[in-house]
Amino acid sequence: MGLRDREGGDPLSLAEVQALGQGEARQGGLLGFGSPTFLTTKVDFVVNWARRNSLWPMPFGTACCAIEMMASAASNFDLARFGMERMSFSPRQADVLICAGRVPYKLAPVLRRIWDQMMQPKWSISMGACASSGGVFDTYSMVQGIDTIIPVDVYVPGCPPRPEGLIYGLMMIQEKIRHESLSDHYTLRAEDPSLVGRPHADAEEVEALAGPFGNSTQQDQLTSLAQTTRPERSEDLLP
Amino acid sequence: MDENGSAFDAVERGPEGSERSTGTPRSGIGDPASHPSVTALRARFGATVLHHEVQAGDQHVVFVDAASNRAVLEWLRDDPEHRYDLLVDVTAVDYGGGNPIQIVYQLWSVGHKRALRVKCELPLDGLSIDSVVPLWKTADWLEREVFDLFGVDFRDHPDLRRILMPQNYAEGHPLRKDFPLRGRFSRAEQTRRALSQDYHDDYTPEALEVGGAPGLAPPEPNGSIDGPEEAP
Repeated sequence: MGLRDREGGDPLSLAEVQALGQGEARQGGLLGFGSPTFLTTKVDFVVNWARRNSLWPMPFGTACCAIEMMASAASNFDLARFGMERMSFSPRQADVLICAGRVPYKLAPVLRRIWDQMMQPKWSISMGACASSGGVFDTYSMVQGIDTIIPVDVYVPGCPPRPEGLIYGLMMIQEKIRHESLSDHYTLRAEDPSLVGRPHADAEEVEALAGPFGNSTQQDQLTSLAQTTRPERSEDLLP
Repeated sequence: MDENGSAFDAVERGPEGSERSTGTPRSGIGDPASHPSVTALRARFGATVLHHEVQAGDQHVVFVDAASNRAVLEWLRDDPEHRYDLLVDVTAVDYGGGNPIQIVYQLWSVGHKRALRVKCELPLDGLSIDSVVPLWKTADWLEREVFDLFGVDFRDHPDLRRILMPQNYAEGHPLRKDFPLRGRFSRAEQTRRALSQDYHDDYTPEALEVGGAPGLAPPEPNGSIDGPEEAP
């Protein structure tokens, strides 16, 4: 039974796919066991071990964070000890998308397309402040956080994050994979096919990010100027 | 650390002009006669040359009437005494407050090793000037950038369209002083418009071909990466 296997040929919606999985689970299908058994936990363990120890990153490096990503892969910090030395520049063969750097609105459809081209199972890391929230570039041209474009699993703060920070984020992905289960296949892995190419966050979510301070298009260079006074300094400091 | 108080006083005073900080300027550097192209321009074009000044200590700037920019620049490029064969940059400045926008041509003479900056002022309701693409091919993209970010129309430009902003950008020209920092649309609308860019509107299939060899391009379905649409 395939995703398009329905009269009319329309692709199934996400809710229908998830109901499918639940149905199979109740029938005791191959992957959909109602409760974990000895066999399924062992299979889960092996599959998750294999997946988390052979993640092939898709480096979507756009700016300064890409330098730190290269540094993480280089000898001093060495992603090869995690099995991630093979940076896959083809999204078809990649497991985890590392978006390192600021993303302009002109690049947003490219990022979405690369994400859509990655095969399941896939995870994503938003590396740095610009990918997580727009960073210092709260302007007309920068995406204010790639989670409005693609789903993000781990955010790594920093400007740029140190290689240890990126490695910590990758280890969080590994930890997330460790606790996955194959029976969650339909809820965890299924993507709504009708959302391909569409923004990940809906309009209400993006607007909720637009507050009176920052991320608001109603501000210009003049109204957002804050009045500053000379800071108080103690007298014993050198001039 | 200066004798007038703490360093914060200097910050509040603001930056000092280069003339004041170095005392008397180097002899002759500020003199129009010290740049041979300026005197020659004045001799040849007369009233078209509106003004001359020296900025940042040694950069000579000549203000020229915008209607004759191509004539002036062509003479500067072709005359053997000056031969400004390298157009370093075409850019613009918007000073805000209703002031005219200045188009800036940065020229460099490789043979004579001289730089010259030519500026033309355009009123905000008359942002149109002749393109210099017939003189320097590099002006093609440089003028596209000025058009994209300032909205200046370059007459006789072979391909005047946006170059930095997306082709469907509808919020205006971002580097104008009256343009808000974060754009005119809401973030949700900007996201939606960014993801609805369709380059098939602007490029023919031949232009999109891989490697320029005809017939090798993979067939591109209509804007969908799911594959060809199913037959009804």
